Amino acid sequence: MIKMTKVLGTKTLKPALLLMAAMLVAAGCSSGGGSTKAVEVSLDNRYTVDPETPAWQLDKKSETTDLTWYVNADWWNTDFGKDVVTKKIKEDLNINIKFITGDDTKLNTFFAGGDMPDLLTIFDSNSPVVQKAATWALPLNELAEKYDPYFNKVAAADTLNWFQLKDGKTYGYPNYSNTQADYDSGNIPAKTAFVIRKDVYEALGSPDFGTPEAFRKSMSEIKAKFPDMIPFGFNAIGEGTGSLGDALQDFIGVPLETEDGKFYNRNLDEDYLTWLRTLNAVYRDGAISDDSFADDGTGFEEKVKSGKYAAMLLDGTPQQGGNLQIFMSANPGKEYMAVDGPQSTQGHQPTLNQSGITGWMINYITKNCKDPAKAIQIFTYLLSEEGQKLMNYGIEGVTYKSNPDGTVELLPEVKDLQLNNADKFKKDYRMGEFMFFGHDRHKALSKDAFPESIKQMQEWGKGKLKPHFILENINPDQGTAEARGQTAINTNWNTTLVSMIRAKDEATFDSTLADHKAFLDKNNWSKIVEIRSEKMKANKEKLGIK
Amino acid sequence: MNRKVIREGLDSRIFDAVNKVLLVCFMVIILVPLWNVIISSLSSGRALAEGGFIFWSKEFSLENYRAVFNDSTIGQSFVVSVAKTFIGVITHVFFCAMIGYGLSKRYIRGRKLYVAMGVITMFFSGGMIPTYLLIKSLGLLNSFWVYIIPALFSYYDVVILMNFFRNVPDSLEESAKIDGAGDWHIFLKIFIPLSMPAMATIALFNGVGQWNDFMTTKLYITDQALYPLQMKLYEIIVQSQTQSMQNIGGSVVIETTTKGVQLATIVITTLPIVAMYPILQRYFISGMMLGAVKE
Repeated sequence: MIKMTKVLGTKTLKPALLLMAAMLVAAGCSSGGGSTKAVEVSLDNRYTVDPETPAWQLDKKSETTDLTWYVNADWWNTDFGKDVVTKKIKEDLNINIKFITGDDTKLNTFFAGGDMPDLLTIFDSNSPVVQKAATWALPLNELAEKYDPYFNKVAAADTLNWFQLKDGKTYGYPNYSNTQADYDSGNIPAKTAFVIRKDVYEALGSPDFGTPEAFRKSMSEIKAKFPDMIPFGFNAIGEGTGSLGDALQDFIGVPLETEDGKFYNRNLDEDYLTWLRTLNAVYRDGAISDDSFADDGTGFEEKVKSGKYAAMLLDGTPQQGGNLQIFMSANPGKEYMAVDGPQSTQGHQPTLNQSGITGWMINYITKNCKDPAKAIQIFTYLLSEEGQKLMNYGIEGVTYKSNPDGTVELLPEVKDLQLNNADKFKKDYRMGEFMFFGHDRHKALSKDAFPESIKQMQEWGKGKLKPHFILENINPDQGTAEARGQTAINTNWNTTLVSMIRAKDEATFDSTLADHKAFLDKNNWSKIVEIRSEKMKANKEKLGIK
Repeated sequence: MNRKVIREGLDSRIFDAVNKVLLVCFMVIILVPLWNVIISSLSSGRALAEGGFIFWSKEFSLENYRAVFNDSTIGQSFVVSVAKTFIGVITHVFFCAMIGYGLSKRYIRGRKLYVAMGVITMFFSGGMIPTYLLIKSLGLLNSFWVYIIPALFSYYDVVILMNFFRNVPDSLEESAKIDGAGDWHIFLKIFIPLSMPAMATIALFNGVGQWNDFMTTKLYITDQALYPLQMKLYEIIVQSQTQSMQNIGGSVVIETTTKGVQLATIVITTLPIVAMYPILQRYFISGMMLGAVKE
């Protein structure tokens, strides 16, 4: 600053600063705006609400309603009304949707600029935007009461409760939100598996991977017999833990909470650490590639596609389904299959996780919505049995047929297109892609819903799922000191995990672990545990657990 | 004495040879990855997934390019990109030159204040959200002019041009004035032609910036018809990444991989701007020379 003053001379700097101050004041005064009052729509000449009939069937509004729908994902396909699925939605509801996509930056500018879209879909239910939904979104329960009571018939009560804010209202509704009832129904397939290439498994005489000793021995054997392969792989680590964190913990059944219902640091569980020591030994045997720590998601996927790994701890099998299928189709008889992998040394059963009650994308109707009645009709429509089938399988008789046992099946020519001309299928049909309110329950209706490559893995996972509801959204609120501590701890754990597995000897392993424990203490860990325990308690109350 | 000359000649020949070898090595180091990007982009998804080639692909395929050009709107995006780069560069250079010309005159009143204000903007910017609000109230959201108007002015470029104009001898301006030339005439007929190297430099900087920029689109444009090539390709990449996640049943016939599409995209977007370098290069060389010669 001193230097600058010298260069410019104090004479010029003063007026410049004054001018800047004046500009700031002016800018400050002219702010405001942004918060708008919700639009009230009159239902006169349109329909009278009827709890037994979805409002979209009653609505006689003749002109087409134009709505803007913002999706906070750059990859979202913004077409509307051109393919089978969205064309039907457009006709049934007499709407025209203009999709806008973007990322968090764009979302922020929307909020700041005050020109909100009519509908909004975001992905992080722990974000401040969600916490403050009451300021910018319309409560779904009130909308339902006013314009479309049928909504309550198609929405899951548990999910609505889960997303209730402190004012007792629910503003957003997610997709892939699984309730206890969904878990109990058995319709949710497992998404985690320890898989091995069939040819490798058979060549080794179906070895055991259950105990640390057996795991290490089998990996060494793979390395000796198949030198071109990487014996053990796992999901790309990136900034998290890949499949070596929660997924491995679930696999060996590390408890979700302490005996008195408090937050339990699963990362420091002895059972889990025993397995990490084993992985370290396996690494030192040369059966884990250094590349695995550096690969990003794409790098990992290309290895899956080409069958580079002999065995993998795979999290998110549906996401890898396409890659696994590519390998399977090109290498018949060598496909990956799920086997009982690492097991608890203390006799715990696996407690595999699935998408929880929080789900994935959350949909909102904003206060700026031009026609909230139409908007809630869209929610009801897409959540209903009819809408769900449309999104996943298209139109009955045109793209799919129903079997007597209640399952559905794509018509042969559609199936053929799906398998042989993915681009055209995507463009003309777009089934399974318009999944704002998607749910696994409807995926379970058809054997066409998942690729062949992962069916055995899903079968293997039956009965091993356990809801992790109590651990959802328990991080300290964003912006607090604890949240910053939490972020630092996560980063530290990420590097600790990698360093432990790559440790050159056991002493290094232990000292790395000790460093992490010291780091926890330095970053207010006890306070974070307290916050998490409280949030777990609140979760239990919301869901009526114990 | 004769011997000495020969020895010197040998020395310098060895020096030259070593130099050449080093330069060739250096060139290879740069060219091999580039070449690999090009042939990988021309490779089938399966061959790329298996990997293991450097100089020639195992399976030649144009699928990656087909995937990119499959999008029917890509032609329009190309037009938008070219238009925004072309118009953007010309207006930017002209506008900055005008301001730079004005500020280069020591007799301009308030010059120091303007310079000080400009320097402040080099250290502090308004930030993303205030800028968004400004653009919004100017009515530039979803308008082609958002690519041009906010990009008209860059103080950095003004400083470069200002300093360049200062190097033009005052006597030139004086004699032109005696002959009756006005400010515009002096600016357009004397200063601009004399400053072509500086103009070309700034044009290239700005052109590359305009060509590669997609943040502007991301923030201010929602109308697909106004998407430049960069934004379109960005979309194609993210869509290819999430393809497997979206398809029910997971289509098995994926002839392209995310990596393949990315590489094809790199080639498509880099080629036009790389082609511009040789055209503008002569200005660079002369530009450096001119700056080195002092009056």
